[in-house]
Amino acid sequence: MSDDILYSIRNLTVEYKTRAGAVRAVDDVSLDIHRGEILGLVGESGCGKSTFGKALMRLHDGPASITGGELWFDGRDLMKLPMTDMPDIRGAEIGMVFQDPMTSLNPVQRILDHLTETIHTHEPETSDADARKRAEDLVERLGIRRERVKEYPHQMSGGMRQRVMISLALALRAKLVIADEPTTSLDVIVEAKFLDLLKELQKEFGLTILLITHNIGVVAEVADRVAVMYAAKMAEVGTAQEVFAAPKHPYTQGLLKSVPNIKLGEGELYKMGGEPPSLLHPPTGCRFHPRCPFAMDICAEKAPEFKPVANDQLASCWLYQKDGVQQAAVK
Amino acid sequence: MSNIDEKNVNTPPEGTTWEVELKQVGFVRRLLMARRWYGADWWFVAISAVMVVGFIIVAIFPQWFAPYSPDALVGPRFIAPNATVELSILVVPVDSPVNKLQDLAVPEGGDRPAVAVEQGLPTSGDLNDESQKIDQTLKNQPEGLRLRPVIDRYTSLDETLQAVVDGTDKAAIVQTTDLDVVKENYPTLREAGSITGEQAGGYLMGTNDIGQDVWSRLLWGTRVALIIGFSSSIISLLLGVPLGLVAGFVGGAFDRLLSLLMDSLYAFPGLILAIAITAVLGPSMLNIIIAIAVLYIPTYYRIVRGQTLSVKEEVYVEAAKSIGARRLEILSRYIFPNVIPSVAIIFSVNVADAILTGAGLSFLGLGLPPTIADWGIDLARGQRFIQTAWWMITFPGLAILLVVLSFTLMGEGLAEIFNPKLRDR
Repeated sequence: MSDDILYSIRNLTVEYKTRAGAVRAVDDVSLDIHRGEILGLVGESGCGKSTFGKALMRLHDGPASITGGELWFDGRDLMKLPMTDMPDIRGAEIGMVFQDPMTSLNPVQRILDHLTETIHTHEPETSDADARKRAEDLVERLGIRRERVKEYPHQMSGGMRQRVMISLALALRAKLVIADEPTTSLDVIVEAKFLDLLKELQKEFGLTILLITHNIGVVAEVADRVAVMYAAKMAEVGTAQEVFAAPKHPYTQGLLKSVPNIKLGEGELYKMGGEPPSLLHPPTGCRFHPRCPFAMDICAEKAPEFKPVANDQLASCWLYQKDGVQQAAVK
Repeated sequence: MSNIDEKNVNTPPEGTTWEVELKQVGFVRRLLMARRWYGADWWFVAISAVMVVGFIIVAIFPQWFAPYSPDALVGPRFIAPNATVELSILVVPVDSPVNKLQDLAVPEGGDRPAVAVEQGLPTSGDLNDESQKIDQTLKNQPEGLRLRPVIDRYTSLDETLQAVVDGTDKAAIVQTTDLDVVKENYPTLREAGSITGEQAGGYLMGTNDIGQDVWSRLLWGTRVALIIGFSSSIISLLLGVPLGLVAGFVGGAFDRLLSLLMDSLYAFPGLILAIAITAVLGPSMLNIIIAIAVLYIPTYYRIVRGQTLSVKEEVYVEAAKSIGARRLEILSRYIFPNVIPSVAIIFSVNVADAILTGAGLSFLGLGLPPTIADWGIDLARGQRFIQTAWWMITFPGLAILLVVLSFTLMGEGLAEIFNPKLRDR
């Protein structure tokens, strides 16, 4: 794996305008996505991870808008591009796979039309026959018989549709694929197959994949690195081994303990206390402090910085920052 | 559906069986099998579709079906359906060149033709009136022909006809019913039609107050009704659909302004608005079409806008953005095709509605010039004679009912068949 950074997100902030005021669904988040890795982004529902994923393509409209930050993709800051140039990036360089494969394909278009349209949108000079052949080769590579490109989405199963979605991203050799909860609506067997396929494709095409999920198991299965989001902030980032073996942020620790395990007896499953905070009125200081078993005075006053804590591991927690370490006091 | 499923209870499901079957059959079978698959009453659709096609054929080629021109005064007034009336019939020898009363005319000063009539019947009066009429027109023409027949009166029908057989008279004028009785006895005579050119009967739906054939007017009226129905619906579709698409897609102030306009148009009582528009524009086919089209634009606008609003939030539209589709592409390839099925269905129901409104306008005398064969006009005309000539108002009314019913049934039935959300009820 190369250390070369494909996508560097700097201080990204996304706001939703609501009647009650602006809600920061992504607040000052920085993240580096390395070339050729699978980066798992985990977090509770509503922590802003899907918003973050969409923001990487500047896909927001309506009440949401990116209010700050830089998006350095492959040497360019996407925030500096005019919005009218974004369609050229979307699909061609960054692809996206959505959560529900049943609704993410146009019901009145054949699979083939989806693929050829993608190809023609970005490479108008491609002939129909070429585009068709490419589409057929691609779906065949993904394990769908090539005759089936003539079918409509409703004639395919959820797993097949999800593979079609991936093929849309692969059709133009997108460098980065953002997969937003791609396996949530699939059953476990199809899910396992799909994850295997993702890994294969990553190796074969040198894909970079941002895998957004709330399922820690999925991340453990495929991810090279893991990013943990909590309440619109990045809590912890590190390699999968580091994060799973030695989680630094108390939230990550709680999250890992809450994963159901067959070996646990009845009543032994850890439940994190409290509720995720409202993003309209986030807690002062560290956003996790009301639920944190290690909370200190400073936690409520000042937000910790997002800093390296070990080799490649970063976390935003006072426990690992300057005087915080000495003053660690368990409640 | 149930009996097919039972067979395959133990085989692994490869989609449900009807889905597999559905793939193998064509459109016609699908239509016929609709009841089994979707629970729609397929025969409603089948019958109404046949009727719609029938009406369209009649509208395009009324002359194939109508015995007379819609404007022709073909017979006496107020003949009941299939009734016969007494007419004065011209009877001539078989070898005579005379085929109508006018053929008896001779040059000025020539021998006036003798015509036999029976005493005491209206035939002599008819002959007198009709020959004077013909004489008046002949007098002014360069041929110098005159028609002033000598009327020979006989005491019985047999004497009258015998006079023609003997050659005493050139022709005889006999009443229809009398002639029918004795026709067999005179093989050397033939009928040369009624002296007025009218027919004695056989009008399927009778004649109206000026002697036009109701059936023929009905058939020709189909053309007018369908032209109004289709063209006004197409115009409102062509305007309403793009406006709804754009308003729903763009949103914002444009949407709000347009919706306000459309809603106020929609809030108006339909017929009154149409009356106002035609009153301003004046009666003509084009104006009535425009008035009705304006009336139905909001119907398309509202449905298309609503559908667009819901479709544009679908994940596949977002997915389309994520593969780099531009706004125009999203509108034309993702939203429009998903919106159009509901438009097709309201179109069919809308045509029926437009026909009804068109007939209503004509009925009120605001629609078409009264010379045009139109159901609404015929209704208005028949209404005055409803006590004496029920057929004048009944048949155009039935025609409107049938057309509207078949279009509505077809629209609703197709909606049920092609809308997957309604199947499996």
